[in-house]
Amino acid sequence: MTTRTRAHADPILSARDIVNRFGKQVVHDRLSLDIERGEIIGIAGGSGSGKSVLLKTLVGLRQPNAGEVLLNGKAVQSMSAADKASQIGVLFQQGALFSSLSVAQNIMLPMREHTPLPEGEQEQIAAMKLALAGLPADAGIKFPSALSGGMVKRAAFARALALDPKILFLDEPTSNLDPIAASGIDALIRSLNDSLGITVVIVTHDLTTLFTICGRIAVLVDRNVTVDTADKLMKSTHPWIREFFHGPRADGAMKARKTGHGN
Amino acid sequence: MARVPATKQEDSGVPAQAAIAVTGDGDRLALAGALDIVTLAEARIALKKWSKKGASRSLDLAGLERLDTPGALFLCGLRDKGVELAGIRDEHRALLDLVCGLDLEPLPKVDSVPRWRQIVIELGKGAHDARHEAFDLFSFVGRAATWTAGALIHPSRLRPASISRHVSETGIKALPIVGLMAVMIAVVLGYQGVAQLRPFGGEDYTINLVAVSVLREMGVLITAIMVAGRSGSAFAAEIGVMQTREEVDALKVMGIEPMHVLVVPRVIALVITLPLLAFFADIMGLVGGAAISQVLLNVSPTQYIARLPSIVDGSDLFVGLFKAPVFAFFIAAIGCMHGLRVSGSAESVGQETTRAVVKSIFMVLVLDAAFSVLFERLGI
Repeated sequence: MTTRTRAHADPILSARDIVNRFGKQVVHDRLSLDIERGEIIGIAGGSGSGKSVLLKTLVGLRQPNAGEVLLNGKAVQSMSAADKASQIGVLFQQGALFSSLSVAQNIMLPMREHTPLPEGEQEQIAAMKLALAGLPADAGIKFPSALSGGMVKRAAFARALALDPKILFLDEPTSNLDPIAASGIDALIRSLNDSLGITVVIVTHDLTTLFTICGRIAVLVDRNVTVDTADKLMKSTHPWIREFFHGPRADGAMKARKTGHGN
Repeated sequence: MARVPATKQEDSGVPAQAAIAVTGDGDRLALAGALDIVTLAEARIALKKWSKKGASRSLDLAGLERLDTPGALFLCGLRDKGVELAGIRDEHRALLDLVCGLDLEPLPKVDSVPRWRQIVIELGKGAHDARHEAFDLFSFVGRAATWTAGALIHPSRLRPASISRHVSETGIKALPIVGLMAVMIAVVLGYQGVAQLRPFGGEDYTINLVAVSVLREMGVLITAIMVAGRSGSAFAAEIGVMQTREEVDALKVMGIEPMHVLVVPRVIALVITLPLLAFFADIMGLVGGAAISQVLLNVSPTQYIARLPSIVDGSDLFVGLFKAPVFAFFIAAIGCMHGLRVSGSAESVGQETTRAVVKSIFMVLVLDAAFSVLFERLGI
């Protein structure tokens, strides 16, 4: 542990010796993870391996039992709410759009709280975020209950991008979507990463997402994390990782990756 | 020329950012620092007059260290007005191209209806809904009665385990609060009675007032309102959550009638518990009456008990308790009806629960008024 790789001197987010416990059950045992500026990293793991708990810890929603999370060198837990909001964007699994507000009002909510911009300008920016997330402008006046699953995810993307965060956490961005919508979300993540330079952390079961857009994959096994590229993880000897990357579902996803790399 | 100060963290809660600085003269200006969502308003003010001028102008961006999407949107707007953006840094070019390339349309305006028309529309909707609600209520109450009667005719179809669980939930656990409320009501009535009757020298009759009104009206009414709030809402929420998780559909697919397994046990349980609770409330109300008589009238509990038989008789108790099963039936049926009307989303569980409580308390009071008229006519 002491010989931490110094190749990337300046990670945007680094988790140090995180311990998460629920009663006697230890979910994470001295887990350390560095997320590099501008990368797309996937977090994978079996059900109950603590993916969601790790996500909550990384964004500062959960105080770990031990250890700390540093965002740009500052402890996430001690950052001010406004500071945190301007640096971290989170896409929750169900979208978590406020059902009493229209999509545009959802996007404008963090701007209204944290910036001095007048209403008209907020609306312009909201329209731009909608377009960035690939939604038509007339989706802005709709209420979340009137949106399809894929549109909810895109609207939640637009809201997560409201304050131009430096790092975006996505919790199962492609779950419950049909394959076409899921591929659209994958393409959206990649284009946001390319053009805006946002660091993206994806918690997902979706092997296609892991293989096609994630530069590195952090696999949660044995209460800790193994981080590497997909190719190297394929060669891992750990039984769970082998099973995960060589099961029948993984083969199909690998094919998608190869065709995806072709163009 | 114009220097705009940075927004400080202390005064606005917004994180400290580098300032935006506008330098230069005439048609050629330069931006330096950070152009982001925080400094955007200041930059817009600083450049407002300048950007309206007609001549060819250019804005040098070489000194710009930070640019985000709202900033890029602002620069795209300037470019559309004919301002030449010069010295764009490489790291900003992709962002500018992306944002300027977006096919932006303004958000459509929501069609708003004038307020006076809104009132008319709401009124019409309200009347329409009320008619449907009344129809739904009567048809559901009818169905619940049919199913309950069917279950009572064939006792083998009853579900004793389910019924006893609901008896425990709606009855035994409600005892403390119902008892407390009954004592409180007796105390309130006692104080009012003494205050009103004293000028006529008849404060002694407060004992009669409290005992009769508790037995005939207050005991059962307070219990029914309490149970409507406690158990009617619980029925609506329980069944509503089952509805959102498709458990009710699962029952139907398995050939099990939700009326039979969800509604009938709850109706029977409440019809059993509400009279018992009301009786308990009557006793506690009389205990409260005894206490208030001791405090305000110096009538000892022994004297109080001795006087009771001359004040109230079985018919007072009967008039109160006769109403209880009827109230119970309506409270349970309305709670279950609203639970089954939940339509998938979590919000509708809340809405239907609220409606169940409001409607069952309303029904309890309407029925109570009807009973008052009925008993008056019958001379009981």
